[in-house]
Amino acid sequence: MAIRNFDRDLCSGCGNCVAACPMDVFRIDETDGKAVVAYPLECVACWGCESFCSEGCIDVSPERARGEMVSPY
Amino acid sequence: MTTITPTVVTTDVLVLGGGGAGMCAALKARESGAEVLMVDKCGIGYAGQVPIGGGILAYVYPDRVDSWFEKVTRDSHYFNNQDWTYQFGSRMHQSTHDLQDMGITFLKKDGDIDVLDWGPTNVTLFDSPKSLVALKKTAKARGIKMMDKIFVIDLLKNGDQVVGALAFGLVDGRVYLFNAKATIVSTGNCGYLHEKTYASVLGEGPAMGYRAGAELTNAEFNSMWVWGIKILGKELMGIHFYRYLENAPGERIMGKYYPELQSGMPPVFTFDPRVIRAMHEEVKAGRGPIYINLKGLSDAEILALGDDIVPELSHIMANDTLLLLKQKVGVDPSKERLEMWPRYLYSGGGIRIDIHGRTALPGLWAAGGACSNCWSGGGGSQAGLGVQSAAITGFVAGEDAGAYAVANSRREVDQAYADQVVARTLAPLARAGEIDAAEVTYRVHEAIAPLKYNRDREAGRMSEALGILEDARERLQRVGAADFHDLARYHSAESMMMAAEFTLKAALMRKESRAQHFREDFPQRDDANWFKWINIQQGEGGPRLSTQPVPLDTYRLHPRDESTTR
Repeated sequence: MAIRNFDRDLCSGCGNCVAACPMDVFRIDETDGKAVVAYPLECVACWGCESFCSEGCIDVSPERARGEMVSPY
Repeated sequence: MTTITPTVVTTDVLVLGGGGAGMCAALKARESGAEVLMVDKCGIGYAGQVPIGGGILAYVYPDRVDSWFEKVTRDSHYFNNQDWTYQFGSRMHQSTHDLQDMGITFLKKDGDIDVLDWGPTNVTLFDSPKSLVALKKTAKARGIKMMDKIFVIDLLKNGDQVVGALAFGLVDGRVYLFNAKATIVSTGNCGYLHEKTYASVLGEGPAMGYRAGAELTNAEFNSMWVWGIKILGKELMGIHFYRYLENAPGERIMGKYYPELQSGMPPVFTFDPRVIRAMHEEVKAGRGPIYINLKGLSDAEILALGDDIVPELSHIMANDTLLLLKQKVGVDPSKERLEMWPRYLYSGGGIRIDIHGRTALPGLWAAGGACSNCWSGGGGSQAGLGVQSAAITGFVAGEDAGAYAVANSRREVDQAYADQVVARTLAPLARAGEIDAAEVTYRVHEAIAPLKYNRDREAGRMSEALGILEDARERLQRVGAADFHDLARYHSAESMMMAAEFTLKAALMRKESRAQHFREDFPQRDDANWFKWINIQQGEGGPRLSTQPVPLDTYRLHPRDESTTR
């Protein structure tokens, strides 16, 4: 899990999530002008989208979508 | 495969990467009257490392430049690029005020930018989350053009001259051929995706510079590690948390290795190598994992350990750790201890530049993390140097590239060269794709993230790590792409793999220990044999490494003057 909740009703289509995401997870849906989670598996849980979202629509969990990281030891 | 006709876009100055360095380069280049176009794979204003950083900017008072320079140089054991160090010192005051004039909000005191004394160095604090949005507004007003969601793959050439770049639009699905008089690489270096903070910089800039024939340097230095809460995958900002680190049996660890940290409350930053070393030693001795134990402390007491709250400035990263733990994980740090991990944040080095930001290739400049900086000797540990380096290298490169663009005419792209780049770039689209690019990235992490390979470096283990990278390279050949999003992931996996290879090969070559480059098998600094920089260029069949003596005789400060200057 990574983006565990995205409240599209609140989305204003400002595009900050698209701009802030380093992994190209979000896109704007041309039909309704709101953001859409286009590539959910890519999320590395950096919280960029959540931090810059103007409406508070996004809740990102701490785990990355692709799971466990390589141990440093 | 279908034939793709690139959309051609011309400009005087092309800036690749719209983070701190790119923004400063674009603004300065525009002052010369040149037409400037800035492109970024994310969205300009929110992209890059500056908005998510701590908002700290290194500062030197104008009348203290000489003493600051001498200290940095001595701390570096004369291994730094002195010309650049001096330029940094001399420009910091002006750069800070330029950034304010361009729209960045600083912490003020009596109406002027507040200069804080942080131990032996000075810093100013600025509103980092909003900083690039402010600069973007200024850039727009000054006529700088911008394009978002443009993923640049490779530089384009005409003979030796760099004349632009090839890119694709992640959203619009177009292939772009940018044709420019001057091109500035300001993409950052490589954050590898292991520590999520710097997920946006994945080695693309140095990789494209290398492929075009530019020289890289100092890849073995400036690798940065941070320590953070394992479950959050995020560094722990706050200068006093180190005191609460303990091993599995529950003994505090920092004082065991660094008695100087036991009395008083000396500040220890999140990237302090002492913490990483203590954690690693304890784990090697079988007393891991390492925890932070804040049990019994109140929320207010824990917040105070951060000691970096500036109410006048907006914060995204510095003090949200507690909140994140409670809201996201449901963990109360005052009730249970939390496992900590050292994490590989960033690799150093970059494209070699001269004092004007020029690379070895005409028409190509580099700035920010993408270029090699001057701190290779270890003297650059001042807080806030990263952002200040981005600003100053950006201003310098922008000024020079702008003047060049005004004085020179644009040269066309060599069509055969462009065709070959397009074919290479788009090749994964024609493959079925047996494996995912994420698998390659995971292999790169296995080679670069373990402390035993990349921090406590040793010849046998580094060769093992290079073997893992060979496997990653083999797997990459089996990665396909269904769309441009996949293609971006493919190329990022490749550039991360290349960054790891540069770092490990240079580290293997340097048979001594110096600054943060530590060789277990060569633990001493060896000035007799290794007072030289390692440069990397593309050769037949892989990176070609060479050395270059530090040009001390041309520098301001020489060790032979030591007795008289001290």
